[in-house]
Amino acid sequence: MLRGKKVIVAIIIVGLTLSYLVYAGVKETMIYYLTISEMIERVPAVYDNKIRVSGNVVPGSIKKELDGRLEFVITDGEHNVEVKYKGVIPDVFRDEVEAIVEGTYTPENVFHADLLLAKCPTKYESTEGLELRKEGYRKKDYEKGVYKPDAPPKGESI
Amino acid sequence: MAEIGTVSLYLAFIISLYSMTAALLGAKSRRRDLIKSAESGLYVVFFLLTLAAASLVYALLVRDYSLKYVASNTSNDLSATYRVTALWAGQAGSLLLWAWILSIYSALVAWFNRDKRDELIPYVYITLSAISVFFIFLIGFVESPFERLAFTPGDGRGLNPLLQNAYMAIHPVFLYIGFVGLSVPFAFGMGALLSGSLGGGWIRSSRRWTLFAWTFLGLGLLLGARWAYLELGWGGYWAWDPVENAAFMPWLTATAFLHSVMIQEKRGMLKKWNMSLIIITFFLVLFGTFITRSGIISSVHSFAQSDIGPLFLSFIAFVLLFSFSMFLLRQGGLKSEGRFESFLSRESAFLYNNLIFLAAAVSVFLGTIFPIVTEALKGEKILVGPPYFNRVNVPMGLVLILLMGIGPLISWRKASRENFIKNFSYPTVFGALTAAVLLFLGMREVYAVISFSLCAFVTATVAVEFWRGVRVRCRRGENPLLALSRLVSKNRRRYGGYIVHVGFVLIVIGITASSAFVIRKESVLNKGETMTVGKYLLRYDDLRQYTIEAKDVTVASVSVWSGDKSLGVLRPESNLFHYSGNREIDKETEVALRSTIKDDLYIILAGFDSGGRASFRVLVNPMVSWIWAGGVVILIGATFTMWPSALERRQEQAVVYPAEVEGKGTAKT
Repeated sequence: MLRGKKVIVAIIIVGLTLSYLVYAGVKETMIYYLTISEMIERVPAVYDNKIRVSGNVVPGSIKKELDGRLEFVITDGEHNVEVKYKGVIPDVFRDEVEAIVEGTYTPENVFHADLLLAKCPTKYESTEGLELRKEGYRKKDYEKGVYKPDAPPKGESI
Repeated sequence: MAEIGTVSLYLAFIISLYSMTAALLGAKSRRRDLIKSAESGLYVVFFLLTLAAASLVYALLVRDYSLKYVASNTSNDLSATYRVTALWAGQAGSLLLWAWILSIYSALVAWFNRDKRDELIPYVYITLSAISVFFIFLIGFVESPFERLAFTPGDGRGLNPLLQNAYMAIHPVFLYIGFVGLSVPFAFGMGALLSGSLGGGWIRSSRRWTLFAWTFLGLGLLLGARWAYLELGWGGYWAWDPVENAAFMPWLTATAFLHSVMIQEKRGMLKKWNMSLIIITFFLVLFGTFITRSGIISSVHSFAQSDIGPLFLSFIAFVLLFSFSMFLLRQGGLKSEGRFESFLSRESAFLYNNLIFLAAAVSVFLGTIFPIVTEALKGEKILVGPPYFNRVNVPMGLVLILLMGIGPLISWRKASRENFIKNFSYPTVFGALTAAVLLFLGMREVYAVISFSLCAFVTATVAVEFWRGVRVRCRRGENPLLALSRLVSKNRRRYGGYIVHVGFVLIVIGITASSAFVIRKESVLNKGETMTVGKYLLRYDDLRQYTIEAKDVTVASVSVWSGDKSLGVLRPESNLFHYSGNREIDKETEVALRSTIKDDLYIILAGFDSGGRASFRVLVNPMVSWIWAGGVVILIGATFTMWPSALERRQEQAVVYPAEVEGKGTAKT
């Protein structure tokens, strides 16, 4: 049975190593995922940690620079928070979507994000908006002279 | 046409219920006619679901917008190809695809086992029909793809632009063929538990199905990674996103299963372990489908959300509860026939391999459900991100590569010192040499050096195996090429497995190189200005816009040089789809990619302004193409392994009959 025990020892070693890896991994990489209100409640303790916050993008608040810097305001209906970000902007990101940002919150009510995710609104699968198309109705903002084939672009920098 | 679909679904539901009942009664009363009737039921369900799927495809093709599914997922300007692939763009359609693929598998299982009088076969039919009942119930009664709208719109909402990509069009099908295919070994496992014939029969009968499903699942993962790489425009291929994890976990446990069944076949050990593994794998398949389709965890891939969540959870709970109770009830019959004699033996190497695969699956599972658990326990959502998954999985992955080299060469039962020296001296030297050269060349990334030298080690062990086999045959007077082809075709399982391992080595090399040595750079350029990224020189030449039927295209022309050598023009795009505001997602970034065996030049058009200035995000990703090449090699190896050899066919015919007379728990085949 001595040999059988060796195998059990090996199993225990694998188990312990896994537990350690998971424990250390969780401890060092865990991030609180808060709503905006929860974040405001936790001031000032929240300033020290990296957190993840989600809120809806306030329409018209998106300011985008060509070099990739992005500023916008997210809201949960009660509080507004200004977000500053630089990096990859998801194709889904636009007014009113739910934006999920990860980074640090500062006393100036500015959130410095290093990660931006955008979630499609839940009406994605709904039939809302189909009404408009009853008669094959179709409006093309793009065709109002903003875009011309092969002409230099005049559109906004999206 | 839609009515045909609906009626087919209802009929398929009833017939699945019938097959289940008939097989159950047939198994209890040992009436062959009832079992045969259940078998016919499986064929009929396949026919009906084919009809249902065909009628939905037809509705998609003829733009029947009176159907909610068609109106929500297509539009007039969508091409015919993507109208067909819209079958799995939404929830109802992809569940229909699930059920349909299951019915194909069920019919094939019935066909291949039509002449077997095996005790467990009726129970396999019961299990497959039960799963089928659940899925048909979902699409027939809860979330029907044939649901009508109160009015008929003139145009639909369009297909998500992210889904309009060749890889996205086929990758869900591959994943589903893999996912659903894992129901077959599960059904055989359940068949063994329910019937009590717990010998190796269930594993032998389902081995090829498992391999087939596993191959497709793996390829599906790779195709999905390739889709993310080409379409999501952030330069990576894997992000430990919940949906990626959902498909990755069953792959991990299925891989463990593929290895541990060999121990059961060869030594009659690990029977309980194998049974648990296949139950866990099937649980993870259902859990994966659930995560993807319920939207419970926010993810970039959750394209659909709905209220089938509770139903799905109940089904998962039922499957787990039922299968593990059966397992406990029958565990007496799953006694091991051998035992581990040494911790340095092939059995043990396979056991460690299994433990680590399972550990990896557990760690991914924990990380994925962590926010749900913490929210339930503490009322706070706490996330763990990609760093967690990398920290935990990279070390385990490295040990797995090491085992991949050791496992095939170490001897059974107990490895002697001679065995070690004989088999591992060349590979060890080769691995160490690789490490030395890399360090000498200035590579200081610890993980990368370890990973590359382990890959060298594994490659050398495989080469040694091939060389030995060929040499033996050459001595008998065969020429080397003939010897090689005979060697592989006479031992398909073994050498096919080695080829799969080589495919993995390629993937690991690609992942290591592209994660350790990626170069990223962002720049805003005026026309005519240049930027340097790694060895590449890029000049932004021009920006053009034009409109095609489905979208407005903005395309930048970037000339590329490497040193003095011109590499031509790359054209990254940023597109706006015409959806008249009905689709929330209308933007699409089309990256420009120049892929070589050494590295990928990956250009994203991140933005532009009215003055013609444009901002670019550029990556040089080393050796990414090795990952895709590895996928091809795995496919080749897996095909070799699955292809029945003449010898195996004879053996299989010989073992069909003994399996029948296996008594409870006394099986020794």
